[in-house]
Amino acid sequence: MTLIKKHIPLAICFIVGLLTLSTYYIPTKASENYIEVMNKWENIMAGFAFLLGLFSLFFSHYNKMKRKVDGWGYSLFVFVGFFAMVIPSVLSHGRQMVGPDLTGLGWGYRFLFNALSGTMFSVLAFYIVSTAYRAFRIKSAQAGVLFVAALIVIVGKVPLGQMIWETVLGWTHVGVTDIVQWLMDVPVVAGKRGILMGLAIGGIVTALKIVFGIERQYMGKD
Amino acid sequence: MSETMMIFGGWVAAGLTIFLFSFLYKDNPFFKIAEHLYLGAGMGWVFQTMLFQTWIPKVWEPLRAGDYYVLIPSLLGLTLVTQFFPKISWVSRYGFTFIMGYGSGLVIPLTISTDLMKQIGGTISPFMVSEITRGNATSLLNAAIVAIGFICVLFYFFFSVEHKGVIKKASNVGIYFLMLYFGAAFGNTVMGRFSLLYGRFDDLYKYSGERFHYATFVILGAMVLYFIVDHFRTRKPAVEEEAA
Repeated sequence: MTLIKKHIPLAICFIVGLLTLSTYYIPTKASENYIEVMNKWENIMAGFAFLLGLFSLFFSHYNKMKRKVDGWGYSLFVFVGFFAMVIPSVLSHGRQMVGPDLTGLGWGYRFLFNALSGTMFSVLAFYIVSTAYRAFRIKSAQAGVLFVAALIVIVGKVPLGQMIWETVLGWTHVGVTDIVQWLMDVPVVAGKRGILMGLAIGGIVTALKIVFGIERQYMGKD
Repeated sequence: MSETMMIFGGWVAAGLTIFLFSFLYKDNPFFKIAEHLYLGAGMGWVFQTMLFQTWIPKVWEPLRAGDYYVLIPSLLGLTLVTQFFPKISWVSRYGFTFIMGYGSGLVIPLTISTDLMKQIGGTISPFMVSEITRGNATSLLNAAIVAIGFICVLFYFFFSVEHKGVIKKASNVGIYFLMLYFGAAFGNTVMGRFSLLYGRFDDLYKYSGERFHYATFVILGAMVLYFIVDHFRTRKPAVEEEAA
């Protein structure tokens, strides 16, 4: 049973991982075909992986409603929202527009999903500002640098900020947009590259550990 | 789509926007309704995308055309769902190991070429003789700042030697470059969120017009009324407060 439960899955990971890795360094027609097929398969599997999340969410909210826990009524709206998008989509065959007219799906996307997602993320603007107030209390030179960099980027990207800059520091003949551009092109690149390098090395090592079966936490317990 | 549906849409969008913004005052049932609706609508949106961009064109149609190879990834994908049945949950390993193996095999060469080699190349290339002769003093100075900053940041993340002496100084300089990066990233995030906020305010302004029968004002007024009523309804008597 260990063979079926453990060794064969690990062998699949090893073979698929090694084959995929080698296709990049052995560019033949067969490699191209392999990657093309695998991309398609990966897409299909991602579709089914989504079902895992969907069922999990549905079970969770169904159980809340069944057990009538506090606020169970809100769980009903998860299903309402889901079907409000899916039913019109099925009726309009996944199209948002038919000619110049919105379909049911287009309506749902524009007035329901877009309004909700836009607002949900824009609410964070208020929290970011209030957090920044607390986080940006300059206690050290390093915190000061962080604050100045953020301030310059914010000021440089809004017309009001640019006007203030021109009024206060116009005599320097250096535009705030030029400073933002230099900041993004030079020192920010240095910091970003250092982080990217660390991420890359970490990512490669973890991927190698997965391919060779050293890292197998994702398989769960026996 | 009829004008009535557009007006109704305006009311729905304005209502949901105000419901979500109402959380800035305090948690309330309207916010919770909109929050749960967002969760469901988000899942519904992804579901229909999967349905019309993956399951139908990549599984159903090939199967109808006699391409039975698509059954392999479909079955591997379905094994993932066995996670819900503890007795046979081990079957899901077949799907997971395939995804992890493929993802890992793909990520190694891509990371080496984009995040590793290109970043190192981008730092070194401005100092090549051909580039130096072509470039001016400013670009060379900028390239030097990037190179020094990059090396100092790497020193900060290098834990194999103790951070003292020159290494400590270098890693301290690295922290300043990291702070500049974090500050700029923060500034960009703030601006991104604010541009979304302007968009929502713009929509609210649009729905406050005569065409939408002043939806924004009506809903906003109703919400304010709700909070006033709720305040008096849930207010504890003064005696109780003192006793507590």
